[in-house]
Amino acid sequence: MIKLLFFGRLGDSAATAPELFEASEGLTPSAVRYALAIEHPRLVEALLEPQVLVSIDRVIADWNQPLTDGCELAFLPPVTGG
Amino acid sequence: MRLNGRQFARYSRHLLMDDIGVDGQHRLFNSHVLVVGMGGLGCPVTLYLAAAGIGRLSICDADIVAESNLHRQILYRDADCGRLKVDCARRALKDVNPDLMVDTHAEPVSAEILSGDYQLVLDCSDNLAARSLLNHHCRARRLPLISASATGWEGQLMAFDFERQQSPCFNCSIDPSSPEGRADCDTQGVVGPVLGVIGSQQATMAMAMLLGYGHPHGQLQRYDGKAGQWMNFKLQANPNCDLCAPFRRC
Repeated sequence: MIKLLFFGRLGDSAATAPELFEASEGLTPSAVRYALAIEHPRLVEALLEPQVLVSIDRVIADWNQPLTDGCELAFLPPVTGG
Repeated sequence: MRLNGRQFARYSRHLLMDDIGVDGQHRLFNSHVLVVGMGGLGCPVTLYLAAAGIGRLSICDADIVAESNLHRQILYRDADCGRLKVDCARRALKDVNPDLMVDTHAEPVSAEILSGDYQLVLDCSDNLAARSLLNHHCRARRLPLISASATGWEGQLMAFDFERQQSPCFNCSIDPSSPEGRADCDTQGVVGPVLGVIGSQQATMAMAMLLGYGHPHGQLQRYDGKAGQWMNFKLQANPNCDLCAPFRRC
């Protein structure tokens, strides 16, 4: 299983989202993102916003990097103001 | 520049510290830092650096002070509304520390401004175009860059030590051609003290870098003020980054 983490305001939108996601061969953060967006409409806008970052085991990762069973996948909403 | 008697008293709490002391205070005096953006982050950053005895600050912002800035941009007062931020900031910072030299640029950041003789660049801007420009110039000139931002209850910092050839850059993680995010202070709002937390951390990192302590670089530090939570993430150099991958192959 893959542990999901929604940081900051993404956590507010992800109240009904699962904490775990079934691992499978060739699974990527991008595929998890779209699967979550389909299952959880409240997450669509937040997850598909430009500049959302993703990390695998606390390392900022590419959306197409393969996920391994037991890893932590975190979604980080953009913060752009100053 | 050497410390005079008044300055010995002023900076005595730095001088007491083994890892700052007289040599470190001289180092701060002889530093020149560029701060791009004098909004919610630029205000606390420059206040702390001015008080700490940084010798020279160059501040860059084209905006004027608006009433909607006042809940978070702590250098400005009600009577400042309608005036240029850099002029108001210069006056306020000189009030804090008359020894400070302040250069003002009331215009968007440009290659010309970035050509100055800085030891460090602080990105306190509020748009992707400025962040990308700073990243590009700092990477090319091997200048350390600390990039910060905040929205709502959240903030983040990224420190890049471009003197290290293998350093990742801002563009390794954030595509500069991606659309500007919708989550800025004007559309989503921002909690004033969150900017204080992030700005204070940015100033702390700046002092550590200027004193030669090499604050952790290549990291993304995220803060969630509502949850009271910090989380650190490692930034990876992207082998396909248009900007910095060629440098790393050198």
